[in-house]
Amino acid sequence: MALVEVQNLRKSFRTFKRSEGILGSFKDLFSRQYSTLNAVDGISFKVEEGELLGYLGPNGAGKSTSIKMLTGILKPTDGEITVMGYHPFRDRRAYTAHIGVVFGQRTQLWWDIAVLESLKLLAKIYRVSDSEFKSRLELLTETLGLKDLLHTPVRKLSLGQRIRCDLAGSLIYGPKILFLDEPTIGLDAVGKDAVRAFLRKINRDLKATIIMTTHDLKEIEELCQRILIIDKGRIIYDGSLERVRTLPGLKRRIYLDFAGSAPESKLNEIFGTRVAFERESERRLAGSYDPRELSTPELVKEVFANFDVADFTVSEPELEEVIMKIYREGAGAL
Amino acid sequence: MIYNLQIFGAYFAQFLKTRMSYRTDFFVSLVANILVGATGLLFVVFLMDGKNITELNGWSRAEVLFIYGYAMISMAIFSSVAINLYGFGNRYIIQGQFDRVLLRPLNSLAQVLFESFNLDSIGSLLVGLATMLYAARILGISIGMLDVGWLFVSSISGAVILISVFVVLSSVSFHFEDRIGIAPPFYNLISFGRYPITIFNRVIQFILSWVIPFAFVAFYPATHFFNRTGFELLCYLTPLVALVSVVVAWVFWQFGVSKYESTGN
Ligand SMILES: Nc1ncnc2c1ncn2[C@@H]1O[C@H](COP(=O)(O)OP(=O)(O)OP(=O)(O)O)[C@@H](O)[C@H]1O
Ligand SMILES: [Mg+2]
Repeated sequence: MALVEVQNLRKSFRTFKRSEGILGSFKDLFSRQYSTLNAVDGISFKVEEGELLGYLGPNGAGKSTSIKMLTGILKPTDGEITVMGYHPFRDRRAYTAHIGVVFGQRTQLWWDIAVLESLKLLAKIYRVSDSEFKSRLELLTETLGLKDLLHTPVRKLSLGQRIRCDLAGSLIYGPKILFLDEPTIGLDAVGKDAVRAFLRKINRDLKATIIMTTHDLKEIEELCQRILIIDKGRIIYDGSLERVRTLPGLKRRIYLDFAGSAPESKLNEIFGTRVAFERESERRLAGSYDPRELSTPELVKEVFANFDVADFTVSEPELEEVIMKIYREGAGAL
Repeated sequence: MIYNLQIFGAYFAQFLKTRMSYRTDFFVSLVANILVGATGLLFVVFLMDGKNITELNGWSRAEVLFIYGYAMISMAIFSSVAINLYGFGNRYIIQGQFDRVLLRPLNSLAQVLFESFNLDSIGSLLVGLATMLYAARILGISIGMLDVGWLFVSSISGAVILISVFVVLSSVSFHFEDRIGIAPPFYNLISFGRYPITIFNRVIQFILSWVIPFAFVAFYPATHFFNRTGFELLCYLTPLVALVSVVVAWVFWQFGVSKYESTGN
């Protein structure tokens, strides 16, 4: 059995339209117009032990809502979740002892308590032995750069500092599976890099399973082998990061370097609308084309047959471009 | 059980530490407490000396005072933890802090109750105890070991009843998004539990006994100390009523948690 199994999971929220003004609020006291919002609308997927899964989707797609159901905070409206044999909501107390959770948006630590005290309290709650605590604390302090933060109350930390402490808090008891909702929000470049390296390390060395949402595609590119894209509560892509780049309709780019001045007009004559050329420099042109319309070998062959080419490179579409297209067009893009 | 005691003991220790770290605040509220306690005592003394009230519907002034003091003890225990239920809807539900509570492998209600404490209630506990002992002397009640045991059991039970009632009221916040919640008006209702129940009309008596059982907070258990008959059964029912209240409160709470929606961000 897979570590995480989700089947037809649904969550709907009842929302009501607020009327405007004081009079409107008064009216709302007596009659409200309710409507149902399906924040998560029948999703199914599996995650195997040791995977590092990127959970993507535009704003409001239902990522956080899914994570909240997976971590036992929200009761699903419908559908089934099993994680390590537990039903997150039903078995909440037993289940939460085995998972680590970070919401970048909101701290899990105690506001007024110094970071170290918070970690000690967590160690008590999760029954971590002293020696385990010591060795983990050492590791976390070093990799997350917590040394100077340990004695500060959480409320006095900056956003990035706080998130690093939150990460430490979610790992101090050695959970087998981590749910991270935008764990690098507000981190600076160095902080992001540290967290990224750290996640890779615990995924590889400790075989921790990680499910994370993020809007940082670089992070996804560096960490995840597999991604899940959710849009309007439905999963529209579940597969490898590589495959998503080969989506139909995505333009590939070819860069051509010529021995002399680039023959832009001649090229346009030959390829017409099949390739859109742009001049990058005197001798260099970039052309974008749809590989379904014109295969790369065909393009290269024709160029070599007609021109004196010094060098060329072909690049796959940027992940950002791919994801943007998917977010913009939804399931239609796939 | 021992594990839970250790954990919530640690919560309490942390709370104390934090309170101490806001040092001025700590001392200011300590002084304020002493003042409030003293005012309470003055009020009691004034009531004892007043020539205008001698009897309340068949209850002597000293008996009324005794019950009043008794109630103060239960209420002090109640308010030492219930401070978190006050504003529960706003802090935990609307601001979504309840997420954090649900992510810990501990009982969610216990976490809410034991996340912070109201040390100020020590003052009213002492005043209540003093009032009770004072009234006991006037009434010529001698208090033995067994009586002390009963006082302990029944005042804890009374506090549990109060907590349960407010847990039920607070769990309404899971269903309706409102900042104040429906609990505050009920805080005033607690005062009904401070008087001999027979001074109220029958409907109110029934409600205070079987719907919102505030009469078990002080009145019924206090009759243990009086030379009266007619309340024996109800008096010793107090711990059972507390137990039932907890079960009811837990059902309401669990149902509320299943409706918890967190926040959009
Ligand atoms: N507690 C709630 N009550 C009502 N509606 C909610 C609630 N939480 C989320 N929603 C709605 O559900 C939808 C999904 O929200 P969710 O927070 O899961 O999105 P998300 O994918 O995490 O977006 P983002 O990238 O902006 O964090 C949104 O339309 C949001 O308004
Ligand atoms: Mg989100």
